[in-house]
Amino acid sequence: MKKILLVCNAGMSTSILVQKMKKVAEQKSIEVTIEAMPSTDLSQFWQSSDVILIGPQIGFMKDSIKETVENKIPVEVINMVDYGRMNADKVLALAIDLIK
Amino acid sequence: MNKFFNKLGMLSQKLGGQIHLRSLRDAFASLIPFIIIAGLMIFFNYVVIEPTGFMSKVVNSATLTNWQDVGTSITNGTLNFLAILLAGACAYHLALNRKFENPIAPTLLAISIFVIMLPFITTVTPVGAKEAVQVAGVISFGSTNSGGMFVGIIAAILSTEFFMWLSKNEKLKINIGGESVPPAVTKSFNVLIPIMITILTFAIVSFAIKQLFGTDINSLILKTIQRPLVGLVTSLPGFIILMLLSNLLFAIGIHPGGVIAPIMDPVLYTTMNENMIAFSQGQPIPNIINMAFKDTFGVMGGSGNTIALLIAIFLFSKRKDYRDIAKLSTAPGIFNINEPVIFGLPIVFDLTLMIPFVLASPICLTAAYFVTKIGLMSPVVIQTPWTTPPVLSGFLATGGDWRASVFQIIMIGLTVLLYIPFLKVAEKKAVE
Repeated sequence: MKKILLVCNAGMSTSILVQKMKKVAEQKSIEVTIEAMPSTDLSQFWQSSDVILIGPQIGFMKDSIKETVENKIPVEVINMVDYGRMNADKVLALAIDLIK
Repeated sequence: MNKFFNKLGMLSQKLGGQIHLRSLRDAFASLIPFIIIAGLMIFFNYVVIEPTGFMSKVVNSATLTNWQDVGTSITNGTLNFLAILLAGACAYHLALNRKFENPIAPTLLAISIFVIMLPFITTVTPVGAKEAVQVAGVISFGSTNSGGMFVGIIAAILSTEFFMWLSKNEKLKINIGGESVPPAVTKSFNVLIPIMITILTFAIVSFAIKQLFGTDINSLILKTIQRPLVGLVTSLPGFIILMLLSNLLFAIGIHPGGVIAPIMDPVLYTTMNENMIAFSQGQPIPNIINMAFKDTFGVMGGSGNTIALLIAIFLFSKRKDYRDIAKLSTAPGIFNINEPVIFGLPIVFDLTLMIPFVLASPICLTAAYFVTKIGLMSPVVIQTPWTTPPVLSGFLATGGDWRASVFQIIMIGLTVLLYIPFLKVAEKKAVE
């Protein structure tokens, strides 16, 4: 099963989005694991994931996150409005797109 | 204006990617649980079961004093030991961020170096005695709590960098060869010489400094680095400027956590620590500005005290999308999480809403500073989790002073008034 990792400063606001994404995934019967994590934990725990989506508030860290994951998996910044309005549909679609 | 924002963005990228600042931040993140349990226990010990407090009517004071031992032992292992925990965590995260394959080695090394640099003779006051005496063979909490924070950071960063640099040198690796040797054994031999050289170097440098300056390295760092830096960041102007900058960054979509926090947090945790220890010892509280002070009065509902913006929207907004976002943002907002309102409304790059967003926290914090200073409410002495809802947070953080909660309500009310005119302009603009 593929694993989507959402990262933000404290892993709080991403965890709200993760809840919504899980619901959408369930409705569409897409089999994925979705998790939220603070950026401070990333260097220890990124290995098991297949794609990393980062909250726009830490979008400026994209390059350093790419470095952390050694460019082995795709890293993308979530669109600001999709993030703020918690458009789980779109964010999930983005993640699945990136895994492919 | 755009140029300025771009520059700020670039600067954030640099600071956010800077490996030492990043490691420092990661280290503090792993220490937060220890600080929070200390805060809870101090609240429990000196507010809830305080032997002269309300519980003494139910339980004998002597029994309460006895019970306090549990909390005291926890404070000793967390707050009073924070500098050593910090040294280890800092070294570990730096090694991890540098992708060093054996992070336990620099972690242990940093702790060892920290102790190597400690003075031999400690001045202590024996229990029951009036005069202090000098003793050897003791480590005092004074050097391992807030007093040693910067020593811990500096020891960890320097020793880890030096050690990892030595470790890269192939000549210093002991080749015990053979494919039958387990990798763990090879690893332990690889770090043997670098660890020895690092320890020796730091011991000699520490000795030399003692000879040259007639003072130990800890006091030197405390006097020349920690005190001036703490003084600067926790002076009202210094603190307010950093808060303005912090919220300005957020207003252009950059979370200040990765940028300003590595500079502010070590200092704010130091003053927080000093306050918690002073409070638990019944001594005068040394600092007004500290970590929980910032969260309690400057992050109500999230950065920019946006709980007030949500209230303003519910009261006055006619736009459906604004009200929808406000509804979505209420539950997280109660716990001071406000990304939905920042990015959803949005506040980011909205030149109208940015103004009150940037100003709200500095205004409330300045007011809180003076109200505390003239003694109308107790200083913040307890580290509460930053997700503690406003009003409750004021009560807890001040060690149970209800006036802090009242003050928070007043400030939220005033902040609503600050947001209203800008909200109306933003709505008009959106209609056009």
